[in-house]
Amino acid sequence: MGKKLGLSMRGRHIFEGYSFISIWIVGFLLFMVIPLGQSFYYSLNNLEVTEKGLIPTYTGLTHYRAAFTTDIHFVPLLQSTLTTMLSQVPLILIFAMFSALLLNRQFRGRVLFRGIFFLPVIIASGAILRELLEQGAAQLPIFNQYDLFGKLSAFIPEDILEPLLEYADSLTLVMWDSGVQILIFIAGLQTISPSLYEAAKCDGATKWESFWKITFPMIMPMLFVNTLYSIVNSFTKTDNRIMDHIMNIVFRSNNYAYGSAMGWIYFIVISVVLAIVFFVFRKSLSATEGRG
Amino acid sequence: MNSTSATEKFAGLQGKAEAVWKVSWVKRGRGIIGMVFFYLVILSLAFVFVYPLLFMISKSLMRPEDVADATIQWIPKRLNLENYLIAGKAINFWPGLLNSIIISFGSAILQVISCSIVGYGFARYRFPGQALFLGMVVFTFLVPPQTIVVPLFTFFADLGWINTHLPFVFPALLGHGLKGSLFVLIFIQFYRTLPNVLEEAARIDGAGAFRTYWMIMFPLAKPAMLVVFLFSVVWHWNDLFEPSMYLLVPEYFNLAQNMAFFNGNANLEIQQASTSVSTGTLGMAPTLQNQVMAGVMLTILPVLVLYLFTQRYFVESVERTGIAGE
Repeated sequence: MGKKLGLSMRGRHIFEGYSFISIWIVGFLLFMVIPLGQSFYYSLNNLEVTEKGLIPTYTGLTHYRAAFTTDIHFVPLLQSTLTTMLSQVPLILIFAMFSALLLNRQFRGRVLFRGIFFLPVIIASGAILRELLEQGAAQLPIFNQYDLFGKLSAFIPEDILEPLLEYADSLTLVMWDSGVQILIFIAGLQTISPSLYEAAKCDGATKWESFWKITFPMIMPMLFVNTLYSIVNSFTKTDNRIMDHIMNIVFRSNNYAYGSAMGWIYFIVISVVLAIVFFVFRKSLSATEGRG
Repeated sequence: MNSTSATEKFAGLQGKAEAVWKVSWVKRGRGIIGMVFFYLVILSLAFVFVYPLLFMISKSLMRPEDVADATIQWIPKRLNLENYLIAGKAINFWPGLLNSIIISFGSAILQVISCSIVGYGFARYRFPGQALFLGMVVFTFLVPPQTIVVPLFTFFADLGWINTHLPFVFPALLGHGLKGSLFVLIFIQFYRTLPNVLEEAARIDGAGAFRTYWMIMFPLAKPAMLVVFLFSVVWHWNDLFEPSMYLLVPEYFNLAQNMAFFNGNANLEIQQASTSVSTGTLGMAPTLQNQVMAGVMLTILPVLVLYLFTQRYFVESVERTGIAGE
């Protein structure tokens, strides 16, 4: 093909490269660039729904200001989304790493247990999980059944106990949310050469030491990937209440413009959070770079 | 003198041997305790993962009386398969199943093909702007779908694609769609782990770039394909957001949508019943939990079966795809 066009070797290489990713670029324009541009345009206008279509009138940043001033739901919802994210993502990461370390050992029934640990990936995404939540199946019975609350409240003041137990309740959900992350950690653990551990053992390192000196630095990149994934996942989950709020504004009240503006604010908030994560991980990632 | 020293020596050796013997027992004992502890931890974790599934199965087989009965925890007095019949009718099982299959399997197959092509291009070629485009792939993953939902909806509406399967299938064809960029990244990662030798041999034998890709490299990507395919099927299957955007007529609803409606109706019924019936009769409030659970079971059963069959290969594949990224 390149020969006909009279391209050099290098030119042909570049041409072939572009043709492989060309379908993605077309999709990117159609499903990302154009819609993003449009929604930004919508957010700066007032849209009137008529038979001819949407008629915009320019209003500037009014919708953005409205989200923070007149909308009584938006800011609290944004706050609660952020706090759940902040409290759950570290838990997900710790739990996922712990499970991955367990599952990475050689033991009988390993395949079976791995199958079970990935079960949430299969059933816990989307609407089904919400069903379970509503029916209380996602909460372990120990907290309700044995009146843990009543017993513990004798020792711990209720103000502390209540959020603590709520946290424990959400722990099940944390575990259910960490399927993909466990998978990524296991794949990462597999890439660490066993000879490293042997060398460390010969030098008299304990298991605890070799975890912090070998395992942890080596799976730093996966920790980064997992952090990103967990954050994005928690922001775009379907049972996210801010998502519901935006969808209600858009499809119940037909206020496309305001919905788009909120979507943009939300997107900017996510970007800021992710930028912070990038910044935090920058140092530790550059340290492990080029290890091959 | 000599003999005593010899016996002393012998005794010393014996002591040493005994000590070694003891140490090895202590070690082994520790090993056993460690093993027991390990299995305890992993079993309790596994229980948490299986618990909701068991809960659903158990509840879905109960009669209403059993659900209300506080003495019955897990095993219903009599198996009640009627729930499944009722729920199957309520969630419109067969048409919904067909829609779900078309959406998730259609999109999954297309995503496997398109994302692998794109991933290969990124992994094997160096071209100007590559870093930028790679950044765009990550960017695509980060944009919440809700931000661009309105323009996308009007776009598909203008094309007359509302109430068809095209809004799911067409983006998948171009390497986008539900979590498409994540799949592209998985394929990039996988193709990077493959050696160059095979392609070079094919090129020397005179195969063009696409022929080389299609005949040699694509078939090698089976582990990555399996992971992407399974993820794609499952996520499309459980997704409620996009179907509720693009499929607005009940006959096009997929199972997840039907289930959501069924659950909404059930909740409504319970609410009405509990407000109309005097609250004094404890435990008599009608419960539809068993039917709802049966519905959920029916909804996830197809993917659950798919997972049971592919689970072994899936877990192995994950290790080989280098899904972990860099």
